[in-house]
Amino acid sequence: MNVLNIALFEIKKSLRDKRTLIFMLAFPIVLILILGTALTNAFHNGVAVGDMKLLVKNTAQSQQLQSYWNGFAQAIGKEGVELTPAANGIDGKEAVQNNQFTAYAEIDDNGVHFYGSSRQTISSNIIQGMLTSFADKYSLAAAAVKNDPEAAQAIIAGSMSAGSFVQEFSIDPDRKPGSIDYYAIAESTMIAFYACMSASWLIRGEVKRKTALRLVAAPIGKMEIFAGKVIASTIINFLCILAVVVFSKYAFNANWGQHLGFVFLLLFTEVLLAVSFGLGIAYLFKDDAVNAVMMIFVQVASMIGGAYFPVDEASGVFGAIANVSPLRWANEALMSLIYNDDLQAVFPVIGLNTAIAAAFLAFVAITMRKREAF
Amino acid sequence: MNVLEIRNLTKKFGDFIAVDNMNLSVSEGEIFGFLGANGAGKSTTINMISSLLRITKGEIQVLGRNIVKENKFSKMNIGIVPQDLAIYEEMTAYENVSFFAGLYGLRGSLLKERTEEALEFVGLGDKHKALPKSFSGGMKRRLNIACAIAHHPKLIIMDEPTVGIDPQSRNYILNSVKKLNQMGCSVIYTSHYMEEVEDLCTRIAIVDHGKIIAEGTKEQLKSIITDTKETWIGVKNAERLDLDALKRTTGVNSVRLEEQTVKIVSKGEINNLNWVIQQLIRDQVEISSVEEQAPNLETVFLTLTGRNLRD
Repeated sequence: MNVLNIALFEIKKSLRDKRTLIFMLAFPIVLILILGTALTNAFHNGVAVGDMKLLVKNTAQSQQLQSYWNGFAQAIGKEGVELTPAANGIDGKEAVQNNQFTAYAEIDDNGVHFYGSSRQTISSNIIQGMLTSFADKYSLAAAAVKNDPEAAQAIIAGSMSAGSFVQEFSIDPDRKPGSIDYYAIAESTMIAFYACMSASWLIRGEVKRKTALRLVAAPIGKMEIFAGKVIASTIINFLCILAVVVFSKYAFNANWGQHLGFVFLLLFTEVLLAVSFGLGIAYLFKDDAVNAVMMIFVQVASMIGGAYFPVDEASGVFGAIANVSPLRWANEALMSLIYNDDLQAVFPVIGLNTAIAAAFLAFVAITMRKREAF
Repeated sequence: MNVLEIRNLTKKFGDFIAVDNMNLSVSEGEIFGFLGANGAGKSTTINMISSLLRITKGEIQVLGRNIVKENKFSKMNIGIVPQDLAIYEEMTAYENVSFFAGLYGLRGSLLKERTEEALEFVGLGDKHKALPKSFSGGMKRRLNIACAIAHHPKLIIMDEPTVGIDPQSRNYILNSVKKLNQMGCSVIYTSHYMEEVEDLCTRIAIVDHGKIIAEGTKEQLKSIITDTKETWIGVKNAERLDLDALKRTTGVNSVRLEEQTVKIVSKGEINNLNWVIQQLIRDQVEISSVEEQAPNLETVFLTLTGRNLRD
């Protein structure tokens, strides 16, 4: 009962601390908005393709080839390729070199000769892909027409429909977050870790305020005070994170995936880790040093954890440092959970957070018991 | 029955002995004055009684029960009014008192009743919803007291409860202490204001260097120093005064100058007033008044400890 009373009082007290509350709520939301908007391009996977201009010199005599080419030309025209017949005397290769065209193609009865621009490689590659497709299908149809004219017609008809020339494959098939999605996750885990700042004041604050004397003089155990405060701090900080997640989901349309329960569980354990870490630091360092140590650790952990910019796989010393950031564990696990539906990525982080939190809490509990007063 | 019994109490911080083999008892219904200069050991003693500090050696009993063995019982029967304000500025007066009273097991309607009663008692009955940050120093001190009495303790320890407040609040607090005592509470009272202790306390202990060097009623303490007397001489040009020469005068124990008054403590059996005055005349000091003081606690304290209470 005393634990509950202390926890409720602490929660009420925290809710009255408007400055901290506003910071915990507004800071991540503002960061999500600012960083998510400012760095949109850094998260955009698409590539802008300019005008695709194809200069064509068609000297083919074959009726069948002519007919097939005309159908094909119409189809790629619908796909945004602008075809220009080469006038007599024009040097197609030079026109491409001068950047007047994306590519130059010569079509005769022997096949297609292609010359692409080295300046517009993507557009040029797309056109090359289309022409290759044209040549392959025509060769196939030419071979089929001898035995099965109907099949040859079907091949040609199929290849003349727009949009069937280039099929996109990727070596990175995973879904990727947009900037708002990324920062919604990164700022939520960051602000979850900020709980360590207020937690470092849980007992220190009582000593500074002199209310520690009253608490010690009351007929309750130190562990009841300790438990009440840890519970309260974890709850109030978790509620802030909950609000940030819900706000980012509905106000910014941030993607939190299909497993919100696991997302919240992971964030809860991160808050617990932060609270116990804050308490632990308050007992490990002298009063004046606590704030400085906490501030440095939180900022470094945030930075290398990807709170301000995405951090890719790092190696060497930086990689080793980056890997000890609890924010990095949390961010990576949440990304895997949300974008790969990888539930297995979450459990090790939940376990690690809980184990470290337990170690810090045990350290604080033992130190508190040993100390006179707090 | 003794509400508090201290036997051979010692507290060491490393090699430093803060409380040295102290023995003390406070009877039920007493207002017990605990006097000592800064660093004398009284706060350390109070902190051990309130379980903030561990006892190095000896024993403390509250209502006949050992505070270490029956910690909860002793805590339930003690109320602490700390020297420093121990309240939550961001919580209302009611929430402050109610929270601390709740730690003593009060719940529901009893908690509400006792909280209101305590606030009423200290004159903050109309300030339930007010935040302490809007209070004057005196009101905060009163709230500090309310937080200590809502659970109806048998023994209240007040550590300088009137520091830095206006005379009106001070009177209110002193009257509250008397009222609490009339209601059956025993009080341990420490203060730097000797007149408060003289006015309130039925018995007084003087602590110095961690030891009780004198204990008894006011009269008993004053009788200790019948071998000394104090003479106050008003002077107009104190700057001409040669204090060292005065100290060397036959029978003089100590001399101090407070504003325009020379306070001289001398051996009781020697009549040295003529010699003192002759010395002042030699120094061409203009005398405005001469007063022989009846012994008071201030003199007792000074004589026993060699220090002023506010040193």
